[in-house]
Amino acid sequence: MMNIKRVISTIEKNYILSNLKKGERIDGRDLWQYRDWNIKSNVIASAEGSAEVSLGKTKVITGVKYDVGTPFPDLPNEGVCTFMAELLPLASPLFERGPPNEQSIELARVVDRGIRHADCVQTKKLCIKEKKAVYIIFVDIYVINYSGNLIDAGGISSLTALISSKIPEGKWENDEVVWTGKYFTGKTLVNELPIVSTYGKIGDIIFSDPSLPEELACDGKISISVTEDKITSIQKSGSATFSIEEVEMLTKKSMEFGKKTRKDLNLWQYKR
Amino acid sequence: MPLIIKDEYPEKLFREDGKRLDGRDKNELRPIKMEVGVLENADGSAYLEWGNNKIYCAVYGPREVHPHHLAKPDRGILRVFYRMATFSVFERKRPAPGRREKEVSMVITDCLKPVLFLELYPGTSFEVYINVLDADGGTRCACTTVAALALADAGIPMRSLVTAVAIGKIDGELITDLSGIEDKAGEADLPCALTWFNEELSLLQFDGKMDLDEFNKSLTLAKEALSKIYEIQLNALKKKYIEIQEEYSGGEK
Repeated sequence: MMNIKRVISTIEKNYILSNLKKGERIDGRDLWQYRDWNIKSNVIASAEGSAEVSLGKTKVITGVKYDVGTPFPDLPNEGVCTFMAELLPLASPLFERGPPNEQSIELARVVDRGIRHADCVQTKKLCIKEKKAVYIIFVDIYVINYSGNLIDAGGISSLTALISSKIPEGKWENDEVVWTGKYFTGKTLVNELPIVSTYGKIGDIIFSDPSLPEELACDGKISISVTEDKITSIQKSGSATFSIEEVEMLTKKSMEFGKKTRKDLNLWQYKR
Repeated sequence: MPLIIKDEYPEKLFREDGKRLDGRDKNELRPIKMEVGVLENADGSAYLEWGNNKIYCAVYGPREVHPHHLAKPDRGILRVFYRMATFSVFERKRPAPGRREKEVSMVITDCLKPVLFLELYPGTSFEVYINVLDADGGTRCACTTVAALALADAGIPMRSLVTAVAIGKIDGELITDLSGIEDKAGEADLPCALTWFNEELSLLQFDGKMDLDEFNKSLTLAKEALSKIYEIQLNALKKKYIEIQEEYSGGEK
């Protein structure tokens, strides 16, 4: 019976920590090694864009839908892109049903901020008529299996889903939105590729891509989103504290990781 | 709020060659793919692709009841949570569960109860989480079918499996396994499920218009289709154990 909240035992925690001190991980990775990525795009026929991304055993499915609505008064000529994350109870006995909790809001917010501040989604192009009609893009992340590090998996799946999107292009005619017959796809929709990387910290040891036991054992995490040459968002969570030197080291590592991931995963191939 | 491309139905639901819009014969099922044991954290799980429907199901239980006051001292309780993903339908669904989802959850709960031995598990709860990631008609039947598989995969004692299918009427003709368009534009929709231990109907709903003859014929059609789906269900369950067996016997059968 899996009826109790999973609390990691002291023995397992010590085992993880003693391994980390030797520079090893319990699953055989080294400190800065990621688990394997597995990306499939365009998996949901009803969605405008979608992606199924696995990072090790963690699995998320993200779908993009759109709607036409009125813009925010302070940004009358810009479209809106919103993110939502749902931690489905089927992904883990740790997740409960009900309205979004802190963890799912954090996931959506961190992914959102990483993408928003990178100027990734071209919201200016998503305006049909100033003050009247703009696109609202919904990026909804569903966690199917939880095995640690949802933020990185959520970030990559959101990007892939956006890149694979096909959103009908509209124009303003006689006070109405009509379809031009064309679509927004790939680079007309997505400009930059912000990559988020998450690091865990136990004691004074830092490592990337925490797996589930490591995530349960760790004192805290830090997620850093980067574009080609800029940092776009940082989120520290948990009770761990990071020294200034550590943060400097991690931002440098994130830049390198971003460059490498952008090249390895080659997300533009998922454009339709 | 307006979507730019409208969700429109065609006037005729049969093509000129007499086939249905997706190329099927009147009594042909859509392609069905089932797999069990797909989620590692759940006690039991199953995945189903039925035409364009894509559904994950996970089962937890028997476990403690939360909130506690729902527990029954003389038997276990079964709770089914049928949820659609926001992007599973043409127009984005709101994330919070709506009335339809609650009703379908209840219908599936009542359908699955007869096959379980709930009286043997006092004070506990069985929870079935069903998430429809892509929907194209007939999700309540598909969900019932996949939920039965996940319960069996969790090793929960059952009298038998349950299988469901929808029979419908389009342009005056009876058809098996309605697709999304046929469901919305058709004249009648009859989802039904069979519990195999007594071969009786455990889910039965009807919307539309049919005369008595048509209705009786529908049930016969349903029985035929259900037998085919039941085979697929059994094979999906067996496949998992055949794979384990092969793994441990070093590839020999």
